[in-house]
Formats: sequence, structure tokens, C-alpha cells
Amino acid sequence: MKPAPGLKIHQLSVNYDKNPVLWDISLEVPAGKLVAIVGPNGAGKSTLMKSILGLIPPLSGKVSFSGLSLKEIRKKAAYIPQKESVDWDFPLTVFDLVLMGRFGRLGLFKRPSKQDREDVKKYLKMVNLEGFSHRQINQLSGGQKQRAFLARALIQEADFYFMDEPLAAIDVETSQAIIAILKHLRDQGKTIFVVLHDLEIVKEVFDWVILLNLRLVSCGPVSEVFTKEIIHKTYGKETLFLEEAAKLAEEKTRGYSLT
Amino acid sequence: MITLDRFFTDPILRGPTIGCMLMGFACAFVGVLAFVRKRSLLGETLSHASYPGVIVGILLSVFFQKEEGLSFFILIGGSLSAFLGFWLVDLLERKERITSDGSLCLVLVLFFGVGVLLASIVQSSHPHLYRQIQSYLYGQAATMGDSHIFFYAFFAAFVSLVVTIFYKEILALSFNREYAQAAGILSPWLNFLLFFLIVLAVIIGIRSVGVILMSAMLIAPPLAARQFTDKLSTLFLLSGIFGMGSGFLGNYFSLLFSDLFSQTGAHLSFPTGPMIVVVSAFLAALSLLFAPKKGLIICYCRMALFRIITIQENLLKTSWHLSEKGKNSLSLDQIGENYAFSRITLRVFLAILQIKGWICIKNKKYHLQPLGIKRGGRIIRLHRLWELYLVNSLGVGVDCVHKSAEEMEHILTPELEKQLTILLDNPKEDPHAQPIPDSEGMVV
Repeated sequence: MKPAPGLKIHQLSVNYDKNPVLWDISLEVPAGKLVAIVGPNGAGKSTLMKSILGLIPPLSGKVSFSGLSLKEIRKKAAYIPQKESVDWDFPLTVFDLVLMGRFGRLGLFKRPSKQDREDVKKYLKMVNLEGFSHRQINQLSGGQKQRAFLARALIQEADFYFMDEPLAAIDVETSQAIIAILKHLRDQGKTIFVVLHDLEIVKEVFDWVILLNLRLVSCGPVSEVFTKEIIHKTYGKETLFLEEAAKLAEEKTRGYSLT
Repeated sequence: MITLDRFFTDPILRGPTIGCMLMGFACAFVGVLAFVRKRSLLGETLSHASYPGVIVGILLSVFFQKEEGLSFFILIGGSLSAFLGFWLVDLLERKERITSDGSLCLVLVLFFGVGVLLASIVQSSHPHLYRQIQSYLYGQAATMGDSHIFFYAFFAAFVSLVVTIFYKEILALSFNREYAQAAGILSPWLNFLLFFLIVLAVIIGIRSVGVILMSAMLIAPPLAARQFTDKLSTLFLLSGIFGMGSGFLGNYFSLLFSDLFSQTGAHLSFPTGPMIVVVSAFLAALSLLFAPKKGLIICYCRMALFRIITIQENLLKTSWHLSEKGKNSLSLDQIGENYAFSRITLRVFLAILQIKGWICIKNKKYHLQPLGIKRGGRIIRLHRLWELYLVNSLGVGVDCVHKSAEEMEHILTPELEKQLTILLDNPKEDPHAQPIPDSEGMVV
């Protein structure tokens, strides 16, 4: 029997709050791939990621992970939110941020063990932030911040990783370090989804790509679907019409206009 | 004179004092929950929203002939009305897309308005109850008794326990709700529990500090504590201590001032509730000004210190340049030529340089000492290294680098200097073809 796909989305539609709408997305991604999610601004890349993780309730549709439901793999999924959604002033040190990655696994009433603390050090070392563990999170540079969040995802030792623009606005060195870690994870058989802005690195680094613009434009191996025509289809002006239509649909279903 | 131990032994004083300390601790503790989520205004709205419920509670407890004070009905009435207020805020924010501050304000005035209306109706229908209703407006700590101590102790223990047990969940949830949800840390009931704690704190706090001032007890102590720590656990503890301190000092000053004024013959009363609030706000203000890391005054002092050091180093540099040109004994005017200082200021600064052993005075002339030559050379080195870095590595024009280097020469640390030296391959000349002194500050 063919193994269940790493991620399977069946007819997912989302129309919730201020998030962009998503229309009838169905796709399959095999396990153990490094997957790029690309599309223009407001195409619903983050929305897709959040609805896969159950952070946004979908209108309809089903998501499964290696044949299991979200509930069953919840603790095996690591999420790195977009930088903008993080409260950088929060009273939190880098060490405690990374330790937080273990909270889900620990469950209620259990405190982090000595081993957990040792692991924090291990993963901080892996992302090259050893000397920074006692800093408040806002006292890091852009690249360091992203690496700290990566460490928190790594310590979850998950099977699925979801990263919302981890490569946005960081230095070349950090982005190379992050990419090296992503590849390492992939080689261990993990499935990694990365929302991207920069199309250039898709070909160099990723195995699989999801092209999105409110609807699914294409999903498949980079070598097959990451072509000029499909990229044009994703970013082209034909989609402006869809955007208008989507906005109208939103108004009709909600009963009032946003603008 | 009042001795401190009287506040804990005297049967009339100990009720309000210990009661307020426990109340202050618990409210400040819970206040952290709202504070770190940047929702401190919630406390203000909830306390005002509880007012109509409290009035209904008072009427009911009289109707059922319960004793005055913290009756069951007042607690329930106040909580219900606060919950109703919160539900409305939530509804306005989510369904009507009104901004958070707008919804909070609207609910606050709506509920408080209803409360004031109810109060005036009661004033004409049950005049004897009006005083009690009024007391919830500004609080009435002075009438608290021993039973309150036990009640508040229980409450303080309860909130500490809840926060300790769910600390990790609270941390994750407050920091980033979406992450907590994605990691399976958030359970909806935890969110509700935390909100319940805030409502509870508000309802219990209004007995001593009143509806109008209540939110100060939730905001001021966490704000003060935040200036001293970047760790959530410490923030809880420190905030609780500040709250407890405010509770005590509020009682202390209230009595002290009343005593002082009565000695002079004037009979002024200093109500405890407002006094506690003023003390806690004062503590917050002090922390904002003097906290070692971020305090405003401390920051100004650090800035001033940096300026003073900059001036010293610049004066040293001037002398160094002059002695490079072969002038070994320098007059005050020679050194101060390019500075807009008065002669007295200049003398003061040069005296500091002398104390540091950088220069010495002989026959009213200034001479550079070996220590000064070395130190001056190092400043020149940093200046020229930085210029070279700007030109070579960043491609800045040779004519534009001086100004930036004038600043950076006082800022670059030895570690950065090492990095620069390696980056630039231990250079000997700056972009203006002037020699760069070695790391000992010597020109070879």
C-alpha cells in the first residue's frame, strides 16, 4: 500500500476575520520534503499555514498529517509565527523562550526537568546563540531573533515544522545557517513548510512548492511546477480580478463591507 | 508617635493593615496577567462594570438581612456584572470591529452610568444604604476587621497557587496565543480561569480601594516591577511585593498624616484606599525614574557620563596631536583653542585628566604623561581604524568619514577593535595616509 502523504488537504476553504480568504484548496505533499509556500502579498500564505494548524477555523475542508488528525499530531508539529505577531517587549529571556518549546510535550502540572534545560543549551548552541541565553528577546538582532525562534521549534523535536517567513529581513549568514538546519531536518525525514517571500531560493533549496493566490495555483516538485508560466499565473494581473471577486464574496457572506 | 508593630497587633489597625497588604499582594499579582498582555485597561473597565452589580448585591443582602461588609451577594452581583461587561467588550471587539480601547471605554461609561443612576435611586428610596454604596466608590479600608484578614489571606493564597501551578501555560499563553494554541498548550478553560482571577481581584479589591481607583492596584505594581526584571516569574513576585508594600504604606501614611494634622489642630482625614493607590503610583514613578537598567534619571546620568568622558578624551586627543607636532609644554589656550568652554570649565576637565595621570602641570604648562600618550594613541587608533573601515569595507567617501569616526572613537570596545584589526588585516595607515598607532597606542 502506498504510504499516506505527509500532508493532505481536502477542499479547504477559509473566510475568517481579517485574514485573506482561501478557496477550495486540495493538495498532497509527501513526507520528508522541504516545502516552500509562495504567492503575492495577501495571497493567504499565512492563512493557509494557520488553518492547517487549526489556529483559524475553516469554513469547510479536512487536513490530515500522515493519515492522522491534527489532534493526534499536535505535539509533533512545531510552529514559528511571523515576526510581526510577536510581542518583543514581553518579559522573556532567550533561554525561557526556547524552553517554552518543551511546554507542549510536558503537559499540565509538570515542570521542565534538568534534561530539558540541558537541551535548551544544546539547541541554542546549534543555532549559534550560546552567549545570549540571558538576554531579553528584544535585545537580539533580527537574525538572532529568528534563530532563537528556530531553536524553540527545534527543541520540540517535531515531525512537522511550519515556519512563517523565517527568512524575511535577515542577514545572509543567518539565512544560510537556517537553510542548513532546514536541510538537516529534511534529511532526518521531517516535513518542513516554509512561507517565503524570496522566489530566488526556491529552486536552490526546496524540494516541493505550493503556489498560492487565494486559490491553489499549483503544488508539486519544484523541478516540475516551478515554471515561468505558473509563477506568472500566481503573480499575474489576472489574479486581481479574483481578489475583487473574493472581497465581494466576503461582503455578501458577512453582510457588511470592510471598506 | 506610632510604632510599626502596632499596625499588626492593634485590634483596630491590624484588620485594615494586614487586609490591605494581602489585597495589594493578590491584586498586584493578578495585575501582571493583564499587564503582560498589554490589557491593563481591562481592570479599569471591569471595576467600573461591577458597580451596578455591587449595588444590587447590597440591596439583596439587606433584603435577606445579611450583615454589612463583604457579603456573598455583593461578590456575586459584582462578578456577574463585571462578566457581563467583559462579554460586551468582547462582542464589540469581535463582531462590531470596534478597537479595543473604544470598546473598553464604552462599556466602562455605560455600566458606571447605570451604577450611578441606581445609586441615586437608592439614595431616595433607601437613604440609609447610600453611605454603604458610596463606600464602594472610593473604598473603605478603615472598617475592615479580622474576618477580612482570613478572607484576603485565602484569596492571596489561591491566586498564588493558581499562577504557580499553571506558570508555564500562563507564560506561553500570554506571550503568544497562537503559538500556545499551535503547541497544544492552550486550553480554553485556562484562558477563562485567568480572566476569572482578574474579575475576582477587582471585586475583592473594590472593598478597600473602591471602584474608581481599583485599576491602579492592577497596573501600578506590575509597571514598577517591570523596570527591574525581564523574567515573568520575578515579575509576579516583585509586583506582589510592591502591591503588599503599597498596602502597608498606604495604611501607615494615612494614620501618620491624620495624626500630624490633628496635632496642629486641623482635623483632616486621609482615607486609606486612595492613600494606597497614591503610594503604589508613587512607587511606579520612582521605578520609572531610578530603576538601574531603564530608569530615566539613570539613563540621563549615563548619557551625561558619556559626554563627560567624550570631552576628556577629546581634550587628551588635542594634546596628543599638539605633542605629535613637537609641542611638549602646552598652555591652557593652546589646548582649549577649538573648544567653546570657559577657562574654568577647561581647567576642571584638565584637572580630571591630571587625576587620571594622563597629563601633569609644570610652571602653568601642561605636559602629556606616558599614560596619556598611550591612551591618546589608542583613541587615534580607533578613529583611524573606523575611518579605514568605512572607506574600505563600506565604500564611504574619504571626505565623509571624519565625523562618524569622531563619535565612534569613544564607543568602540576592545573586542570590536580586535575584530576590526582582523577584518582590515592589521592596517598601518588610514585613508588620509596617516599612521595608525599600534594597539599599545604607539606610533611606529
